[in-house]
Amino acid sequence: MKTTLFRCLAAASVMAVAAGTSVAKAEDFPTKPVEMTVLFGGTAQTIGQLLADLMSKNLAQPVVPVSRAGGGGSVGYQYVHGMPGDGYNIVWNSNSISTGYHGGKMDFDYKAFKPIAKISVEVPAFAVRADAGWKTLQDMIDDIKGSDKKLRVGASGKGSFTHLTTIALLDAMGIGDKVIHVPYDQGKAPVELLAGRIDAALQWPGQFISHAKAGTINILCVTSAKRVSSLPDTPTCDEAGAKGINITMWRGLAAPADTPDEVIAVLEEAAKKASESEQFVEASKTVGFERDFADHTAFGAEIASDDEKISALMEKLGLKQQ
Amino acid sequence: MDFLLNALATSFTPVSLVAVVAGTFIGLVFGSIPGLTFTVALALVLPVTFSLESTPAIALLLGTYIGGMTGGSVSAILLGIPGTPSAAATVLDGYQMTRRGKAALALGTAVIVSTVGGLISLLVMIVSVDFVARMALRFGPAEIFALVLFGLSTICGLSEKSLLRGMIAGVIGLMIMTMGLDEIDGVQRLTFGTITLQQGVNLLVAMIALFAVPHIIEAFVQYYRGEEQPVRAADVNVELPRWKDLRENFWLMIRCALMGTGIGAIPGTGGPIAAFLAYAHARRSSKDSIPLGKGSLAGVVAPETANNAVTGGTMIPLLALGIPGDPATAIVLSGLLIHGLVPGPMLFLEHPDTIYSVYIVIILSYIAVLAIQLFGIRLFVQLLRVPAHMLAVAITVMCGFGAFAVRNSVFDVYTMGILGVLAYALMRARIPLTPIILGLVLGPTLEREFRTAYILSEGDPMIYVSSVPAVIFLALAALVFAMPALKMLRKPKNREA
Repeated sequence: MKTTLFRCLAAASVMAVAAGTSVAKAEDFPTKPVEMTVLFGGTAQTIGQLLADLMSKNLAQPVVPVSRAGGGGSVGYQYVHGMPGDGYNIVWNSNSISTGYHGGKMDFDYKAFKPIAKISVEVPAFAVRADAGWKTLQDMIDDIKGSDKKLRVGASGKGSFTHLTTIALLDAMGIGDKVIHVPYDQGKAPVELLAGRIDAALQWPGQFISHAKAGTINILCVTSAKRVSSLPDTPTCDEAGAKGINITMWRGLAAPADTPDEVIAVLEEAAKKASESEQFVEASKTVGFERDFADHTAFGAEIASDDEKISALMEKLGLKQQ
Repeated sequence: MDFLLNALATSFTPVSLVAVVAGTFIGLVFGSIPGLTFTVALALVLPVTFSLESTPAIALLLGTYIGGMTGGSVSAILLGIPGTPSAAATVLDGYQMTRRGKAALALGTAVIVSTVGGLISLLVMIVSVDFVARMALRFGPAEIFALVLFGLSTICGLSEKSLLRGMIAGVIGLMIMTMGLDEIDGVQRLTFGTITLQQGVNLLVAMIALFAVPHIIEAFVQYYRGEEQPVRAADVNVELPRWKDLRENFWLMIRCALMGTGIGAIPGTGGPIAAFLAYAHARRSSKDSIPLGKGSLAGVVAPETANNAVTGGTMIPLLALGIPGDPATAIVLSGLLIHGLVPGPMLFLEHPDTIYSVYIVIILSYIAVLAIQLFGIRLFVQLLRVPAHMLAVAITVMCGFGAFAVRNSVFDVYTMGILGVLAYALMRARIPLTPIILGLVLGPTLEREFRTAYILSEGDPMIYVSSVPAVIFLALAALVFAMPALKMLRKPKNREA
């Protein structure tokens, strides 16, 4: 226990001194700690820290997670973007690269990075208060369509991923014009839902599961194409009546675009082993994410297609800046 | 009962005990160094908990959290630089006590009342977690806005001589906090088109700049002018608090502990607001012979009791609803999740032994805090033997390091330098600096809750006065703001009579 802490501290101080001073040779990579920039707190940070810890066991040097939050991820992306492409600076990324770029927060897009591996997928869930009496998504749609009241829906701030997903979902249900979007941060949406100040919320399932078990919240659907392992009985939104909805948030690792392929291969291998470890499998269930490993080629293709999807969605909503 | 025995068995294993003591110690160290806070400490110990059993993991995390919250008072009292934002209110009287040679008394009192505050909040949590969680749910955006506005009204009490100067300071704080990415609409404010400024000014960095940098400049200025106060042996006595001191402040302690627990239970508020409100309360109610702001013991008792009571308060929504109230508890939540303990209503049914372990761990870490701190005071006060200009060099290094460590960003070090020089200029212009901190701490919450309430009500301003708690807090805030004006009106009449 002590040694791990010591290693972290030692690694952190070595990083500070040695960052960017030595030139890497691919065959003996890594010769110094690899710095993994983490862009957000919450689940992103939890998974990122665990992944870094497990990857360290498969590499000659530790992977050190370093938090660079702020600006909806743009601060961390900018930092890694500005670092030499030698494999010692990688970013724990997500489709915030696309929402950030198209939202005008960054002047570079996903092409500034080389994909290493996709690690996980998080699927937002749509939930309502149990005493609203809506057992299925269709109940809610019928009720809202049949009355003149508006639906108050909680998600994160404007232009964020959960906000985009919410709008896409409500549009697919045909009630996009009868909605008040209430922005919440710091995972407060479930509280507001329980307190009855909002009628529905779109957030990560982990925030809802305990309340759903206790019977105070009904989770109506998840926004992926397939059901998720933590909620096997919850239908997908597509099944529940919002046709064509398939929106998920991937997370993976990427490095600056000029990083050599041999170095990428070393990191990819370490990430693969880490994501297959028992501890990571366990954590996926409790933290509430789906493991979904993809190698750098498949991951690259997914990032590109997702970027197009997000760009089109933001264009439609008038949120696209570039 | 089985669960309790079970929890006792897992909490009193050597690993758990080592974890709780180690966590408390790490927290104390990080908390007491300006710039390094328990949020940083928690992020560092989190990976260590991955390989531990669940009880030692909880012990390490909660120990660090509690140790850090208590440690913030050490540098606040000794150096006049708060170790954490929650200890900013402690500076006002704590540092004055140090200047009067009563550093050990202030430090000793701080650690004892911290423990009392923490344990009272734990007691409240044990007997009424459901009730408090349900009450906290009633605090929506409009209610939190009113509460935060009431918190902001304490500027009036912190403004020393001129209310106008206090207001100016408060507004400067509010303005600094608008920089960066707006949380609700995602709009960039005052970023001049750069990505770097999107991260805005970090609260902690601003705090170091406001409290530490003017101190450092002042120390050097005095040294070069040859005006430095020589260190007198009498300044470094170890006088610990006596029963009498504590008994005099007993009811203040109880009131501030309840206040802290209540505020801690409302997600999105937290330590600093509790500490400032408690301080303002002490200022109004104190019958101490020394007025608050001049080194009164009550001025240390109130904020220190309240900020530690917040630790128990934040546990309530965390365990009962799964909602972290601040970044520190968010890290504690991650640690629980990794061990398969999903906070929320089901935790109490599925893992009652875990809940008992949490209670026991909290008690144990307060015992550790007391033991380590009461022993440590003798060492801490020796710091005062160091000449001011030498200490200033050491503080400069720590602050630079701390500012960098907050977000691993050199930008923050520059920010600290720029704001620090600005703060020194303001100090020379006799603008009080504490209201700036208040504006910084409360600004983002004030704005966010105000706007969220407005969106919720579809633009109907009546939402701000639509519930009892909101009306009460707004009325209290109005009263506090109106008091100085009323006093001014009354003065001429007194002269006539």
